[in-house]
Amino acid sequence: MNVGIGVSTSRIPVEAAQDAVTRARISLRSTTVDLAIVLSSVEFALPAVLKTVISLSGTSHLIGASSLAVIHEKDIEKHAIAVLLLSFPETIYSNAACVHEVSLKSGERSGEELADKLLYGFKNIHRDLGVIFSDGLKAQGSDLIHGLQKKLGTSFPLAGASASDNLAFKKTYQYYGGEVLSDSACAVLWAGKLNFGLGIKHGWKPLGKPRFATKASGNVIYEIDGEPAINIYREYLSFELSKLKKDLKKISILYPIGIFVPGETEYLLRNTLAIENNGALLCQGNVPEGSMVRLMIGTKVSCLEATREATQEAKNSLGGRKANFVLVFNSVSRYILLGRRSKEELAIIKELFPDTPVLGIYTYGEQAPLESVSYQGKTYFHNQSIIVLAAGG
Amino acid sequence: MIDLGFLMILFLVASFVTIIILAMVITGKMDKISGLKGEITKLKGSLEEMDEQAKLIVRTDIELNRAQEELDKKVTGLYSLQRLSRAISTTLEESQIFQLIESHYLEELGFEKACAFLWDSNKKEFELNMHLGYTREELEAIVLAVNAQKEEFRDVIKSEKTLSSITQQYEKKNLQAEIPHIFKVASFVLSPILPKEGDRGLLFVGTDESEVILSEGDEELITILANHLGQALENARLFDKTWRSQQGLEQKVEERTRALSKALSDLEAVSRRKTDFISSVSHELRTPLTSIKGYAAILLAGKIGDLPKDIRDRLDKINRHSDELVHMVNDLLDIARIESGKVSMKKESLDLKEVAEKVGDLLAVQLKEKHIAFNIDLPDNAKSIVADRSQIERVFINLAGNALKFTPEKGKITISARKTETGTQIDVSDTGCGIPEVAMHAIFEEFYRVDNAVNQEVKGTGLGLALVKQIVEAHGGKIWVKSRLGAGSTFTFEIPGEA
Repeated sequence: MNVGIGVSTSRIPVEAAQDAVTRARISLRSTTVDLAIVLSSVEFALPAVLKTVISLSGTSHLIGASSLAVIHEKDIEKHAIAVLLLSFPETIYSNAACVHEVSLKSGERSGEELADKLLYGFKNIHRDLGVIFSDGLKAQGSDLIHGLQKKLGTSFPLAGASASDNLAFKKTYQYYGGEVLSDSACAVLWAGKLNFGLGIKHGWKPLGKPRFATKASGNVIYEIDGEPAINIYREYLSFELSKLKKDLKKISILYPIGIFVPGETEYLLRNTLAIENNGALLCQGNVPEGSMVRLMIGTKVSCLEATREATQEAKNSLGGRKANFVLVFNSVSRYILLGRRSKEELAIIKELFPDTPVLGIYTYGEQAPLESVSYQGKTYFHNQSIIVLAAGG
Repeated sequence: MIDLGFLMILFLVASFVTIIILAMVITGKMDKISGLKGEITKLKGSLEEMDEQAKLIVRTDIELNRAQEELDKKVTGLYSLQRLSRAISTTLEESQIFQLIESHYLEELGFEKACAFLWDSNKKEFELNMHLGYTREELEAIVLAVNAQKEEFRDVIKSEKTLSSITQQYEKKNLQAEIPHIFKVASFVLSPILPKEGDRGLLFVGTDESEVILSEGDEELITILANHLGQALENARLFDKTWRSQQGLEQKVEERTRALSKALSDLEAVSRRKTDFISSVSHELRTPLTSIKGYAAILLAGKIGDLPKDIRDRLDKINRHSDELVHMVNDLLDIARIESGKVSMKKESLDLKEVAEKVGDLLAVQLKEKHIAFNIDLPDNAKSIVADRSQIERVFINLAGNALKFTPEKGKITISARKTETGTQIDVSDTGCGIPEVAMHAIFEEFYRVDNAVNQEVKGTGLGLALVKQIVEAHGGKIWVKSRLGAGSTFTFEIPGEA
C-alpha cells in the first residue's frame, strides 16, 4: 500500500486543496490513486474543493468529514485541509459508499442501506474493516451502527467518526465524491489482506455510588433510580435547572454519564444533548434500560493516559505488522478538556508510531468495537474517546 | 399400647428437642441476619458518605476547571497578544498596521469578529480600517450604523475607557445595548485606539457564541491590544513625519549642493578665463618687451654712437626694468600653464641635499652680505623625493629667496625635512619679521604682497608664492605656512610618495 498525505493552511479554499493534493501526490510513491480521504475545517467544506481534489488526485473515490481542527504529523490546525491518498496493492479491495438523509430514514435503515452499498461486489471476499464518517449533530449514532451490524455482522470491526464543526454546533459536513453533505453517512469498506490495529479509550473515571437507568429508551434516559434523570446532575453539581440547561453541553463534556459494561475496563460514555421538560436526558448514543450508570469525571492526566493506552492497544493488535498510516478520531471533548495540552496527545501517538504518517480529526462521537470477549468485538457508539486506527498492507 | 404411649412420649420429647434446636438455630440465624443488616446499613451509610464526598469532589472540580479555563484563556490570550504586538511593531506604515491583525490571533483571544475604525477628521466620519468575520453586506450596514451614531462612538474615544458587554455602570446604556445588534454578536469589547497625535479610533472585537462568557481578563487583553495599536499608529505617524522632514532636508541639501556646484563651476570657468587671459596677455607682452630690451641693449652697446651718461643711466634702468618685466611675464606664464595643466611634471628621484646646497650657492653672496646663516638639516630617511627637478628648484629658490628678503642681518635660514606617512615634508624657516595674521590667508594668491616695511623697500611681483603653490599642487602636494610676527616664518610643503 502506498500512502501520501498533504496538508495546507492556505486561506483560499481551492488553492489550499491544490496545495494539499500536490503535497500528497509528492509523498505518494505511486501513479494510481484508489481512494482519497479528505479531512478539513468547516470553511473548506465546498464542492469546488472536493472537485479540485478529484481532478488533481485522479480518483472520484473520495470520502471525508469536517472537523473543529485537523490533526497531522506536526501540529493541530484549526484552519486546514488534509488529503490522504491511498494506492492499494492487488490484495486489498476498497469500496466507498454513502447514504443521504439519515434522520429522515431512521438511523437503523440508513445503516442497512449503507451496508448494502458497501458490500456490493464483496460477496466472497474476506472483509476486514469499515471506516464511517457521519453527522455529529444527529442523535442516530447508535442506530446507524446497529443497522450496519445487521448486514455486516455484529462483530464486524467498524471505526467511525461523527463529523464536527467549529464548536458552533450548527452544521457538520460529510464528503462523498464531489458532494458536500450533512445528515448523511459515508464509509469505506476494506477487504482482502489489510492489516490493522484499533484502540479506543477515554480516561474518564466513575464517581459516586452506582445508579441504574430505571427507565430508558433509545437515546433518552427518563429516570435514574426512579427519579427524573436530570437529578443526577442537580445532586452532584448543585446547579439550578436554568443554569444546567444553559451549560449542559459543557457540563456533559466534563462530567458525562458512564454506562457500566461488564468485562470492559472502561465505562461507555454518553454526552447529553438536551434536557427534556420531564427531566429526561437526551443523549448522543443509546442507553439500555436497567444498565448501571455513573457520573464520570476526567482529568487532563487521565485523558492523556487514555491516549497512550489506546495507541498502545492499536499497536498491540497490529501484532508487529507494519502500518502505512494512522488515522485518529479524537473527541472534541478531549480538545476542550486538554486545552493547551492537546498537542501532547499527538506527541504520544508519534512516540508510539514514530515512522508512520498520522492524520486525524476531532469528532462529536466515535464508533469502535468494545474490547471484551463477551461483546465479541461488537462496535458501539462512544463519546469523549480517542480512536487510534493503524492500518497497512 | 404402652409401646405406643412410649413412642408418643418419645416423639413429643424429640419434637420438643427439635423445636428447641430449631429455635436455637433460628435465633442464631436471626442474630446473623440482623448483624448482616447492620453491616448493610453500615455499608449503605459509607456509600452515601462516599457519594457525598463525590459531590464535593465534583463541585471542587468544577471550580478548578473554571479557574483552569480562565487561566488557560489568559495564557493563550497573552501569548497571542504578544505575537500580535510583535507583528504590529514590525511595520511603520500606518496602512499596514491593521492588516497584521489576522483571524487566528483573534480566535486565540476568543473572538471571531473584529472591526477597527479611525475617525477621519476631514470627512467627519468613521472610516473602517480592518474587519474580520463579516461579509461585505454586513460591513456596509455596520459602517452606516456606526456613523449614524458617530457622536456616541466618539464619546467612547473621548472617555478613553474600554466598553464591553460586561461593563458595569456605563452611562451610555443605550449604546452598550445596541452594539450587539449593530455588530451581530452576543458579547463584545470596544476599546479606544489613542495615538498621541492625529486621528484616533476604536477597536471592536466580538463573538456570537452565546456560550462564551466574557471576563474582565478579556477586557484587559483587548485594551492592551488597542493600546499597542495606538502606540503603533503613533510610531508610524512619527516615522512618517520624520521621514518627510528628512526628505525635505535632503531636497534642500541637494538644491544647495547643486547651487554650490554651479557657483564652483562658474568660478572655475572664470578662473580658466583668467588663466587664458593671463597666458595670452603675457605672450603678447613678451614680443614688445623683447624689442624694448633689444633696442635698449643696442643703444647701451654704443652701436649707434656714444651716449651721454644721463641717457646711459636711464637706458640701464629701462634694461633692468625690462628684465624684471620679462621675469614677471615668465612667472605669470608658468603659473597659467601649470594651472591649466599644460605643463607636465617630469618626475625623478631628487637628492634634497643637492637641491638645497645649490640654492645656498645661488644665494651665497646675499647671505654673506647680510651675515645670515644657511643651515641644511636632512635626516637619513628624508634625503630624497620624487619630483620635477627644475620646478622643485624654483620652489626652493622662491622660498629661500623670500626668507632671505625678510630676514634681517645676522639671522638664520634653515632647510629641514622629515618623512611622514604620506610623503616628505620640507620646511624652509627663517628668523625674519614674520607675517601678520590678517595676511596669512592671502599670501599664496597672485599679486598679493604683505604690507610691511621690507616690501615697501624691496621690489617684488607678488607672483613667487603663487607659483610655488601651483608647482607643489601639480606634484599632488600641499603647502602651508606658520608664522609669528617678529619671530620668523616656516613654510612647509609636502611632496607625496616614497622616494
